[in-house]
Amino acid sequence: MFRHTPLRYGALVLLASAALFQAFTAEYFGLEILTEIVILAMLVIALDMVAGFGGMVSLCHGALLGVGAYGYAILSTKLGLTPVVAMAGAVAITGAVAWVIGAICARSHGIYFIMATLAFGQMGYSYVFEAPLFGGDDGLGGIARLDLSLIGLDLNDGRSFALFSLGVLAAIYGVAVLILRSGLGRSLSGVMHNEQRMRALGLTVWRVKADVFGLSGLISGLAGVMAAQHVMFVSPGLLSWTVSGEALVVVILGGLGTLVGPLLGAAVFVLLKHEVGALTSYWHLVVGILLIAVVMSRANGIFGWIEARFGARIERRAADAVRDIDPREVKTDA
Amino acid sequence: MLETRNLDKSFGAVHVTRGVSLKLERGERRVILGPNGAGKTTLFNLLVGELTPDSGSVHLAGENVTALPVARRARQGLSRSYQKNTLFDGLTVEENLGLAAAIHTGHATTLRRDSLARPEVREIVAEVANQVNLMPYLHARVSEVSYGVRRQLEVGVALATRPLVLLMDEPTSGVGPEMAKGFHDLLNNLPRDLTLLIIEHDMDLAFDVADTITVLNYGEVVFDGLPEAARGSTLLKEIYLGSWEDA
Repeated sequence: MFRHTPLRYGALVLLASAALFQAFTAEYFGLEILTEIVILAMLVIALDMVAGFGGMVSLCHGALLGVGAYGYAILSTKLGLTPVVAMAGAVAITGAVAWVIGAICARSHGIYFIMATLAFGQMGYSYVFEAPLFGGDDGLGGIARLDLSLIGLDLNDGRSFALFSLGVLAAIYGVAVLILRSGLGRSLSGVMHNEQRMRALGLTVWRVKADVFGLSGLISGLAGVMAAQHVMFVSPGLLSWTVSGEALVVVILGGLGTLVGPLLGAAVFVLLKHEVGALTSYWHLVVGILLIAVVMSRANGIFGWIEARFGARIERRAADAVRDIDPREVKTDA
Repeated sequence: MLETRNLDKSFGAVHVTRGVSLKLERGERRVILGPNGAGKTTLFNLLVGELTPDSGSVHLAGENVTALPVARRARQGLSRSYQKNTLFDGLTVEENLGLAAAIHTGHATTLRRDSLARPEVREIVAEVANQVNLMPYLHARVSEVSYGVRRQLEVGVALATRPLVLLMDEPTSGVGPEMAKGFHDLLNNLPRDLTLLIIEHDMDLAFDVADTITVLNYGEVVFDGLPEAARGSTLLKEIYLGSWEDA
């Protein structure tokens, strides 16, 4: 069940501060890396919602990101819709597609759920790869970014786009928290802990799973729209299962079911890719070794390890601080 | 309130439920007795919809619910507790009760607010926690409380859906004599308009709580009557001593 702890708040503040510092001080490549981290973070929040809080380990979230990206590309370049309308349309389409996938896969569990979502993802990839409407393996170019000149923001500037992406990520994080704290989110946690009992208590389990999968799809779609605007180009590779696989690696690396951990995981993953990738093309090996170390340590990802090591101490100190307050010092309205 | 008509269920060649017909009035407390393998838990699974009968029907408050799925029957007022604890182990006692209460109050699928923080949900949680003596454990995780407390919570979670009919599968299973005595009081203190159907091996509890007793053997109802009649029944003694022969 989703809980915010002092450590999680602290980690959020640290991550946000580091991102803002980078957004205001970095040069071109630094801003590109930041934007890449932020867009990946959007996708992994969506994945953590279903995998970490609902036990639905999805291998089609890459494809959902692709649906959002292609949806935006088609609606804006081929149908001539304004970027705002195209954005809303692409997000809605992705949410609907995700809801249908969630509704169909909701009755399967474990490896079967993973395989079913993988199949959906690969179907999407193959279709986009082959269909002329989507430009085949050439992809689609000429994608415009949102026009926010009315509020004095030129998104064609890398710094402005990075800041805008950060704003979108903050909004996505807030929405994810609201969903996970809502009745629907609480029920999803109940389903993950004991699906049979939730059903016996009167919950229509498949509907809860499908609804949260659909909401997760909305977020993935928005991540896709941002990815399309970032590169101004979309290709079938966005829908590939490797994108889903990488997102899953990032969630596990960061800390499944913590929501904050995957943000950290996204930063570590992208930084490793660029920093180690500059030294050797075998950067995946380093990520692999790190992932194995994290899994073998039995910690719930990097953030899970931090929580296990420092979380209890911080909470104890916070509780002690509350206990140590002399009641006479507490001012009341009375 | 709850009625079955000629319920039949087989698994391959094994006939586990044979023409079971029961009728429970509102507020009635019926205990089902029978040796291991008599088909008691199978009957519960048929009643709540976890199993589909080969023939026969289940009626709740006058409505035929045989074709309804588990969740729909639960929402119509049929709740159960399990012989083996079926709880939300990683969550607190309060959250366990809250999840059930949220389903009953219709807040389990809303996006607007935290269902567990809703006043009506908290009210049910507090009330049920009092009924099943869980107040001291509300903030403890299920994995941290004793087995006996988990058995109380098992019943509490079922009660938090505010059922019309509560099916309890061996509520005292695995608990010591002291705890079993506590369950007598707990069951006797439940609202009188709640219909109870209890599978129980503890004869003291059965005769203490029951208004009526049904005995199952080889999936068949072999006795249906008042506790006094059951107490003097040689048939019941024979079944429990193992000398019953299927006529």
